[in-house]
Amino acid sequence: MRRCRRFVILSLAVAAAVASVGASAHAVLLDSTPKAHGALPAGHTQVVLKYNSKIDQARSRLVLVAPDHSETTLAITADGDKPNELDSTADLKPGNYTLHWQALALDGHLTRGDLPFTVTAAP
Amino acid sequence: MALLVDLFAYLSVILHGLVIVAQSMMLGGLLFLCFLLHPLSSLLPDGGALEQRVLRLTRWSAAGLFLAELAATALQVTALMSTVGLPFSNVMQASFALSGSAKIACALVIALCLNRRTLARPVARTALLLVGFLTLVAATMTTHAFARMDHNALLLVVAGLHQFGAAIWIGGIPSFVLVLRHLHDGQGLAQVGSRFSRMSMLGVACILASGVIMCVFYIGDAQGFYGTAYGVMVSAKIAMFLALLVLGLGNFTVTERLRQGRDAPVLRMRRFAEVEIGIGFTIFFAAASLTSVPPAIDLTSDRVTLHEIAVRNAPAWPRFHSPDHDALAISQLQVQLDREAAHMQMAAPAATVPGSGEPPPRNAQDIAWSEYNHHWAGVFVVLIGLLALLNRAGVGWARHWPLLFLLLAGFLLVRSDPEVWPLGQENWWAAWRDVEVTQHRLFVLLIILFGVFEWSVRTGRLRSERAALVFPLLVAVGGAMLLTHNHQIANVKDQLLVELTHTPLALAGVAAGWSRWLELRLPGRGGRIAGYVWPACFLLIGLILLWYREA
Repeated sequence: MRRCRRFVILSLAVAAAVASVGASAHAVLLDSTPKAHGALPAGHTQVVLKYNSKIDQARSRLVLVAPDHSETTLAITADGDKPNELDSTADLKPGNYTLHWQALALDGHLTRGDLPFTVTAAP
Repeated sequence: MALLVDLFAYLSVILHGLVIVAQSMMLGGLLFLCFLLHPLSSLLPDGGALEQRVLRLTRWSAAGLFLAELAATALQVTALMSTVGLPFSNVMQASFALSGSAKIACALVIALCLNRRTLARPVARTALLLVGFLTLVAATMTTHAFARMDHNALLLVVAGLHQFGAAIWIGGIPSFVLVLRHLHDGQGLAQVGSRFSRMSMLGVACILASGVIMCVFYIGDAQGFYGTAYGVMVSAKIAMFLALLVLGLGNFTVTERLRQGRDAPVLRMRRFAEVEIGIGFTIFFAAASLTSVPPAIDLTSDRVTLHEIAVRNAPAWPRFHSPDHDALAISQLQVQLDREAAHMQMAAPAATVPGSGEPPPRNAQDIAWSEYNHHWAGVFVVLIGLLALLNRAGVGWARHWPLLFLLLAGFLLVRSDPEVWPLGQENWWAAWRDVEVTQHRLFVLLIILFGVFEWSVRTGRLRSERAALVFPLLVAVGGAMLLTHNHQIANVKDQLLVELTHTPLALAGVAAGWSRWLELRLPGRGGRIAGYVWPACFLLIGLILLWYREA
């Protein structure tokens, strides 16, 4: 009887521990410069990611993956007037890039995403 | 990093669900004590002992909140420190860490300071209520409202009202059930019942008013309800809320009869309240899952239309012929990688890396594979429902129906994830890193557990009353799991169309579990009716599975 009760409690604990899953995005990327799968000319470029909710800019991250697969963490400009944006700058050469972003919404939810884009030779 | 963030999201929803349960029970218990039991305790037989029991429950709830919130905050802090590379002192200044710390402190104060002495002193009682209020304020800081771009103040008040309503009603029910269990005096039951009815009505009013406002601001229009994951989850919450209202109405009629001094089915009220706790906690886990998806109003593209839902659900004959494993996208990709590697004379990489965060590739044969799985699962579940009904009608041999669950579990274990052993190349242990594979395996474990328990109970191998309750509890928990289970499908629309089928399955699972609970716990006509309801729910689940389409 006692063993059975312990087993019931254990089963319920296991079941409760898996009772919920949901790894979907919370902060939604509404707009960006560069656009996803878009193209832009080489040179010093402004990077802007605009979300649906306020973002903790100091605790979010932008990592630029260059065509040679090297990774650079971009410095995010804190701007209280644009609380839903992650802004930065980068010097880009022609090739295929991916911007890995991780945003901490002000309500504590972490969201990550990738932004692939192409840099063309400057005209 | 991808695996860490995915695992973080997985665990954080679980912990958030536990936080909501503990928080609601703590606040509900506190309000129950301050506004119901303490004022009535001198009028009730053994009022002091009853108060002591509810005090203990509330203190345990506060301890639970302390631990759950500590774990949730620690997990978030760890995830942030390791992915962004910030020091602990910096991360602890993030708003979620501040509100988490505030909730931990409040829970600790209530766990340590709530006792008969503090409850008896008006100043101390008010201070405890203030600590409860601070908990609620801190909790609203981790809701969608805090991060919204517009209408922050209004939405924060509304979120607070919603949580207050849930606490005073659903969070108060465990205290109510505890009192019902130990109070046998008719007049006392009438007093407690009618006062708790009034508190519940206040809770329902708060939930209803705040819920309507949140629907306006977070969902916006009808398509937001059926066309987005957020809307579908809110619809499921509304369905369960309506079920709670029906049960609450049943209990209200009992308290009214008691108040008028007439005979009333008090045991039914207790059993209904137990079911209310179960459904209420399921709603809390749905709410925890809801906080991890963006509000419907923010999703302007990738919404599902009614036409797409109608096309997807057009009647078609179930698929009982499986495609060949070699025709699946993952197998074909592996063949291609092997060929390329052989050409370059190097080791071939695996077509899929568990836990990489990348959804596996899919083609038409993968869809046929998944539909075949669902349709055969539907056959199993229809048979289970039919045999359970036959058994209910007195056919003796049909009592072995739970063994079908073991066959179903074996079938799912082999076929759910074709990229994993025994059919695929992926190692059994390495596949645990994949969140979806882990969920499937835990579902299988759950099915085995409730199959074994129910068969042992029905064949007399287990005679304990508690053992009989394992089946309904695990079925209800399985329904809750399914409600918040998501599929890793790259196409957002396809993913939602799958969720649209799984949500009614989950609700039928929750209904099946709790009606079987009532059959076991409620003697008389109510229990007999419930005895026919749950096999009918299983039949419904089976039919929905047979109807299931992924394209």
